[in-house]
Amino acid sequence: MNRTWHRWIPAVAVPAVVVAVAVTGGVAATASADLPEKTPQEVLALVGSSEVEAFSGTLEQSSDLGLPDVSALSSGSGASDDSGAAVSSALELATGSHTARIYVDGPERLRVQVLDTLAERDAVRNGDDLWLYDSDEQSAVHATLPSHDGGATPEGSFPGADGTVPTPDELASRFLDSVDPSTDVSLGSEQTVAGRDAYSLVLTPRTDDTLVGSVTIAVDAETGMPLEVQVFARGASSAAFEVGFTDLSLDTPSADLFDFTPPAGTEVTEKELDAPGHDGTGTDDDASDAAGHQDREPTVTGEGWSSIVETALGGDLTEITSNPLFSQLATPVEGGSVLQTALVSVLLTDDGRLLAGAVPAELLQQAAAAE
Amino acid sequence: MSSDTTAPVRPRRALGWGFFLSELSVLFRRRRTWAMLLALAAVPVLIAVAIRLTDDGNGGGGGPAFLDRITQNGLFVGVTALVVAIPLFLPLTVGVVAGDSIAGEAGTGTLRYLLVSPVGRIRLLVVKFAAAAVFCLAATLTVSIAGILIGLALFPVGPVALVSGDTVSVGESLLRSLLIALYITLGLLGLSAIGLFISTLTDAPVGAMAATVVVSIVAQVVGQLSQLEWLHPWLFTYHWLDFADLLRQPIEWSSFGANAVLQLAYVAVFGALAYGRFATKDILS
Repeated sequence: MNRTWHRWIPAVAVPAVVVAVAVTGGVAATASADLPEKTPQEVLALVGSSEVEAFSGTLEQSSDLGLPDVSALSSGSGASDDSGAAVSSALELATGSHTARIYVDGPERLRVQVLDTLAERDAVRNGDDLWLYDSDEQSAVHATLPSHDGGATPEGSFPGADGTVPTPDELASRFLDSVDPSTDVSLGSEQTVAGRDAYSLVLTPRTDDTLVGSVTIAVDAETGMPLEVQVFARGASSAAFEVGFTDLSLDTPSADLFDFTPPAGTEVTEKELDAPGHDGTGTDDDASDAAGHQDREPTVTGEGWSSIVETALGGDLTEITSNPLFSQLATPVEGGSVLQTALVSVLLTDDGRLLAGAVPAELLQQAAAAE
Repeated sequence: MSSDTTAPVRPRRALGWGFFLSELSVLFRRRRTWAMLLALAAVPVLIAVAIRLTDDGNGGGGGPAFLDRITQNGLFVGVTALVVAIPLFLPLTVGVVAGDSIAGEAGTGTLRYLLVSPVGRIRLLVVKFAAAAVFCLAATLTVSIAGILIGLALFPVGPVALVSGDTVSVGESLLRSLLIALYITLGLLGLSAIGLFISTLTDAPVGAMAATVVVSIVAQVVGQLSQLEWLHPWLFTYHWLDFADLLRQPIEWSSFGANAVLQLAYVAVFGALAYGRFATKDILS
């Protein structure tokens, strides 16, 4: 046996090499870049001056909000009615992990493809035409934007975006809009995202009344485009929600991609778009639509990170509370039910008011009781 | 193995090819191989006939992916059949071929004669693995081509709608079917290497076959458990169903590359283990 021991050398060496390559490959991907020094204000200005008109890339979204796996739930409950399916689909998009490809050519041509296993969900905007396509259901929704809305749609807030994942750009502008005295802005260590050198902006709320610990935005050093957004819950070391590019090209995508015609055999629904600027906070809208009544003005109390949005649902609450999804996700508390995630709390009071905010549930209960 | 008797007079390089070709002809002249390929071809035929007989105009939402598209376009039979065959039928047949490769020779007592003729143990392993790889390709192509043919026969055929909602011509869809077959073949190489390694451990071919199939099933079960999510990217089954990335517009090549790297790693590791075991083994049968 002595003369044959060396024949086992490859059997030991090859797995060792494979493991070593796999591990160091991960380290090399996070190696820090060497960028000119900038102050946080200069990086903020860089984001503001970003003028990327056309790009294509791959987005990864992942979240760890502390919710049960909604995709398994929705398939288990059979998605009996349309409203329930819409709610669980929106929840699944917001809370699940997804890979999406995005193609943008100017403000009016955009395509987002959510890559599911053996299926895909597409959102296409070409000029005034909007398409939402779901290959699994073989269904499509078509809408035409009001013509006066032409160029007025703010970049990144795609009216059909309810059906897709948010882009880092969109998310970053939401957080950067809220940069005010309530937020501490600093620079983290430089990083590499999608093979590009990036500054990392760290937004930390100054108040203790919020669940959000900090928000990190990776800003492309060359173009000022946000490449990655990570939201950390208070005291958490890994991101509760993150979306970022794993691959980015600044070339103009092929024009064919925006020219969408649903394939034969697709069930096409025409949808009227009402008011432009309808801001897609998907789950809330769908939930209130499900309750079947007209929109009510939400009221906002508090400021900055600890603000609380309150809206009266009215109508019949049993439609919501009888949904099996609801009983799975929500926990009953005094005066209502609370849906608690790592970043957001939602309180549905027994008298039909819905309160939501990035604050602990107790603050919602106090706000509900204060009226 | 009598077909190998001319080998000694050939130069070394030709020896490898001659041995490989003779190995292939042995493999594909076996009735068992043909029975397995026929069984694989029966998968799309059964699916197509069942859909044709119960054609009620809607998919009903159940069943494997793409099933409800078959009535609109027969070219989807091949893809649907692959979705059905990937979890069990393909690993089963590959497990039989790979598990049998060394243990089968040992079991019938032909292994020592093989090694008496000037065939090195490394070369024997490489040739056995290559033959298993060729079988993977043959098996995948069988499902795909049988599906396309039965689809042509039973259903209307036209431009194909991709999962992205874009439509491509019949020619391009056939090209993509070929790419999918190559992708799945690539995905089965890791399992072939595992089967080869297990085959060097025993003289009982049935045991090696069963163990290989069990490994593939265990890997898929583990792949379903969300508690073991950290492990999933390391499973050789991880990219099996990502062949749908070839049905997107434009084609998403990243999973093809990731699949290739993953399978290569498996081939390297289990190839090395198989060499370690086989090179130190006392061949008594």
